[in-house]
Amino acid sequence: MLKAALKIDDIEEIPAGTHRAGAGETAAVLASPAETAADWRARAGVYRLLSGAFVEEPAGEFIDALRSPATLAELAEAGLRFDADFLATPRDRLLEQLAIEYTTQFASSGGFPPVESVRLTGRYKQQPNFDTMQTYKRLGFVLRPGRFEVFADQLGIELMFVAELLERGALALEQGDAAAQRRLDKEIKRFWSQHLGRWVRGYSRLIERTAEHSFYREMARFLGGFAAEEIEALGLRIEDADQARLEVPKSDLRVEFNPNEPVCNGCMTDALSTTLAAPDNVRRLEEMRGLGTLGDLR
Amino acid sequence: MEMPKVTRRTFLKVSATTGAAAAAAPRLLNAMEQQLGGKDFGPVTGAERKAIPINCHVCNIQDGAIAYVENDRVVKLEGNPEHVSTRGRLCAKGNAGMWYSYDPDRILYPLKRVGARGEGKWKRITWDEALTELAGKLDAALKEDPNTIMMKYGRNRSGGVIDRFMQTLGSATVVNHTSVCESSKKIGMEPTWGPDIETPDFANAKYVLNFGSNILEAAYFHNPLSQRVTEGRVDNNMKIVTFDVRLSNTAGFSDEWIPVHPATDGAVALAMGHVILREDLQDSDFIETWTNVTVKELKEHYKQFTPEWASKISGVPVETIERIAREFATAKPATLFTYRGPAKHMYGSYNERSCMMLPIMTGNVEKKGGYCLPRGMGWPQPSPAPGKPKKDSYLSHPPDYPLAGHKVSHLVPFWIADGKQKINVYISYQDNPVYTNPGSQAVWGKLFKDEKLIPYYVSMSPFMGEETALADLILPDCPYLERWEPESMPNSLWPWLGIRQPVHKSLGESRENRIMMRDIIWKLDPTGSRGMKQFWAFKDGEDYMRQHFDNVPGLKEAGGLDFLKKHGVWPIYGKLDPKTGKVTDKTGREIKAEYNMYKKELSDADMAGAAVGKDGVISKNGKAIGVKRNGKNYVGFPTGNRIINVRVDKWAEYGFNPMPTFKRIPWHETMKEDELILVTFKLNVMKQSRTAAVKWLAEIAHSNPMWIGTSTAARMGIKTGDLVRVESRAGHLVTKAYVTEGIHPRTVAIPTGFGHWEYGRLATLKLKEKKSDASHGADDPDLNNVWWDDKGVHPNNIIPVVADPIGGSQGWFDTVVKVTKAGPDDKYGDSQGDWQKHYDAYKETMRYAYTGDLHRKMHPEMASWAGPDSVKHKEGGGH
Repeated sequence: MLKAALKIDDIEEIPAGTHRAGAGETAAVLASPAETAADWRARAGVYRLLSGAFVEEPAGEFIDALRSPATLAELAEAGLRFDADFLATPRDRLLEQLAIEYTTQFASSGGFPPVESVRLTGRYKQQPNFDTMQTYKRLGFVLRPGRFEVFADQLGIELMFVAELLERGALALEQGDAAAQRRLDKEIKRFWSQHLGRWVRGYSRLIERTAEHSFYREMARFLGGFAAEEIEALGLRIEDADQARLEVPKSDLRVEFNPNEPVCNGCMTDALSTTLAAPDNVRRLEEMRGLGTLGDLR
Repeated sequence: MEMPKVTRRTFLKVSATTGAAAAAAPRLLNAMEQQLGGKDFGPVTGAERKAIPINCHVCNIQDGAIAYVENDRVVKLEGNPEHVSTRGRLCAKGNAGMWYSYDPDRILYPLKRVGARGEGKWKRITWDEALTELAGKLDAALKEDPNTIMMKYGRNRSGGVIDRFMQTLGSATVVNHTSVCESSKKIGMEPTWGPDIETPDFANAKYVLNFGSNILEAAYFHNPLSQRVTEGRVDNNMKIVTFDVRLSNTAGFSDEWIPVHPATDGAVALAMGHVILREDLQDSDFIETWTNVTVKELKEHYKQFTPEWASKISGVPVETIERIAREFATAKPATLFTYRGPAKHMYGSYNERSCMMLPIMTGNVEKKGGYCLPRGMGWPQPSPAPGKPKKDSYLSHPPDYPLAGHKVSHLVPFWIADGKQKINVYISYQDNPVYTNPGSQAVWGKLFKDEKLIPYYVSMSPFMGEETALADLILPDCPYLERWEPESMPNSLWPWLGIRQPVHKSLGESRENRIMMRDIIWKLDPTGSRGMKQFWAFKDGEDYMRQHFDNVPGLKEAGGLDFLKKHGVWPIYGKLDPKTGKVTDKTGREIKAEYNMYKKELSDADMAGAAVGKDGVISKNGKAIGVKRNGKNYVGFPTGNRIINVRVDKWAEYGFNPMPTFKRIPWHETMKEDELILVTFKLNVMKQSRTAAVKWLAEIAHSNPMWIGTSTAARMGIKTGDLVRVESRAGHLVTKAYVTEGIHPRTVAIPTGFGHWEYGRLATLKLKEKKSDASHGADDPDLNNVWWDDKGVHPNNIIPVVADPIGGSQGWFDTVVKVTKAGPDDKYGDSQGDWQKHYDAYKETMRYAYTGDLHRKMHPEMASWAGPDSVKHKEGGGH
């Protein structure tokens, strides 16, 4: 059932050791074309599952498929531990709860939009949005709204894109076009390097922590684990820019003003300056002008 | 060949002696910032960016701007050099406007409340679901009474769409925000000379009196007028005298800052008028010809307003009042500007009139360098248009305030609570009274949380403001860079028409106001059988603009909307000279403004069929079109009798003094030694409520300590940075003190725009409050760059309502407070207001209305007035 729902082929039938490549190599290098095609379709299924969880509020069929005993068993085997809020809630109520949780987490003010531009630049519709759009276009994809209109660099769309490439690659292999499959392999690696790999690991940790519903908590865990696996399997080394960005401690800042001083539209008088205890790292502009480097600039 | 030996010394010597030759050498490469503007290039590709002209709408000055777009993304905003008013300059707020579009807290989809009001639980729904639900609520309300559908708007620049929407529904319950803005300034001016604002010709003035305006930083029309103030100061050696309780940046730029006791500007202005008339410095010819009083009457009336009287009230020395009065009257041309200082008091309308009398009595009206009428342009509305609703609304036209033509919106919660009018559906558009109004959370927060008083609340907003957080349904509006809107603003002496046009596709599923309202109407009347759909027959925003602009005479010939899409503004008066910053004609001279607008003579065609009355008023088809003076037919002033009304007879009907006068705030007269007056102000990077989420602006200003005078603070043992408790009759707050000489000793001042509890992660700094917690973007990596952790304290919770019984204005600067050092239980950011205490303040302020028991006590000079029953006022249409 899980295989049907997630379009995952039985990867255990592939002889051990043939589908796992070393660093810098992918499964396609070592496995037969048929085995690689099967591997790619299996991976595409996981991408589609994760895309379905994050691209918009889950629909009834998606949840029905996920909650079937066989699928749950397989997800449990993969380490996913859903709570009763997912397992034992009546269907319609669950759908309502997930829609509310989705909105709170991903689609309203104060949440965590699953959008690469927001995660990496703090704003919607920045460079990642245009870069992903261009990539989709270059490879012949057009982004159309689903139930809602979403950004090109939305998590669900980025995952869906890789799923599409994997399925194309699998098809190419099945049709004997290994060169096309290799080209797609490079595209997938590039896309991970430039997009998914830069933000989904940190983002998944955030959602795992912030989700109130076990469905999103577990899906976030799944996303994080899968991303780590994929990056390793693809032989990539990518810095996780989301969550990896350091906050500069105040003590390291050398500023021309006192950051603790009230910003109040008035000039600080000498008399007032003595009432404020300036931190050691603070240098006032006049003092800095007395320093050698700035003194030359006067 | 031997090369010359060049040391640094010889190099400098050569440079010093060859300056002329160097200057004459061709210069083909110029620094970009010295160029005119209007073009921009990507730093990586060097390719020219797409430039789309718009009118800025971060605040409401309507500066001409250009959005530079790369890849459907705004990368830069700057001034439009073709815009006659702002001449290529844009302020700090305008430069940061793209943050609205890309704010990570922006609402991109319709949201339906699923928890308790204000709990923060939402469900995203489709537009169709949202419109269906709303149409159901509207339908039910329409069946009961259209007036139970209420619209309250804040910054409405839709160009008539909101009125069209409400008129289509047949509801008269449309309430604006003007009473917390500037309504008493407007009501002071309109019956006097017609328009609601002045255009001082600063650039050509010799002398400026500034009463309570911070024009170089915040007031109407900051950018265009501050340019002219600077020109007048630098090019024309203009003198500026500023009366203000606070040393604002404008006061600091002035030749003299004269701190006045709050709410006494009007007394100072009247005393200056007294001096001018006493010393015969008035322009008698102008008064006799163009006003409805004689010089003799005026002199008689002003005798009571002696400098000694005003000095005692205001604290301004007698000799200062006399000296400035003489300087103003004799330095021609001279002008005057006012803003909130005089107007935001219980009798702000009186204060405004007292101030504007100074340029009137000295004949500086409509002179070059003087006090000019505003210049604007209109545009036609699409046809057909719905008619006015059949029944009036109490909340729109409260019968206790018949002269408050700009409404009294800040009293609306109390009137709803008192059952004056039933509301079934409350719609807000760009209006955040829960933050911006007196009483803020304690009053409007309580109103919106009460589902009996407001059964259904719809907010049209791109952001989760304090009001939107309490809504039942949120419809995602577009920020200004994604909207079509017509514009014209009298922000210089040259009238213009302009547009806002979308510079990129709207994000998510947000819809601009006219599309959103059209879709609501279409949902209510899909077939047109209810007669509503006919008023909303347009394809999109651009189509709507064509119906506005394609038939405006002059613009039509220039290309109509297509011209505006290309240039952003019409007409283009000349070319901006980058060296002088002025708009010049073909000969290189600055273009001239027109003056003496009231002295335009009516044409023969105008006079055909017109009749001249005994008083000289020229009427045609029942409407005054001009006035006959000295044998000539002039267009006059846009008042009912085409002259300036120093005496406003209409006011006397309601027991108000029809002549320029002054009333002290009664509770200011009885202030104790330890009591102070709390005022508020705006910084240059903040507007009412919508800038705290703009990162570039929030980084510049994010905390708002309370200004307190040095001697006052010393008496209380307060130093800069100390926590202080500020207590009014309606509540208390705890904030930090900023001790300064730059404020009147009986005043404390808190800037607004800070201390949000909603409006997204940056405004609330919830990321700092709950680090690693599951809320409000605590882990947003970009917000790690937010180095500040003080969001400020909002004062409005403790400011009680006060309503000008004439103009309806909130008395923002009338609040008496006690300030003490914070106690052990006080903590920074505490803010507590109390509904009942605010309600008591509302009841008290109603006593000053013309129907109230204190009205007559405040107007002993109107003893012969026959009382409220003598006036046949129109009753508002309550439910």
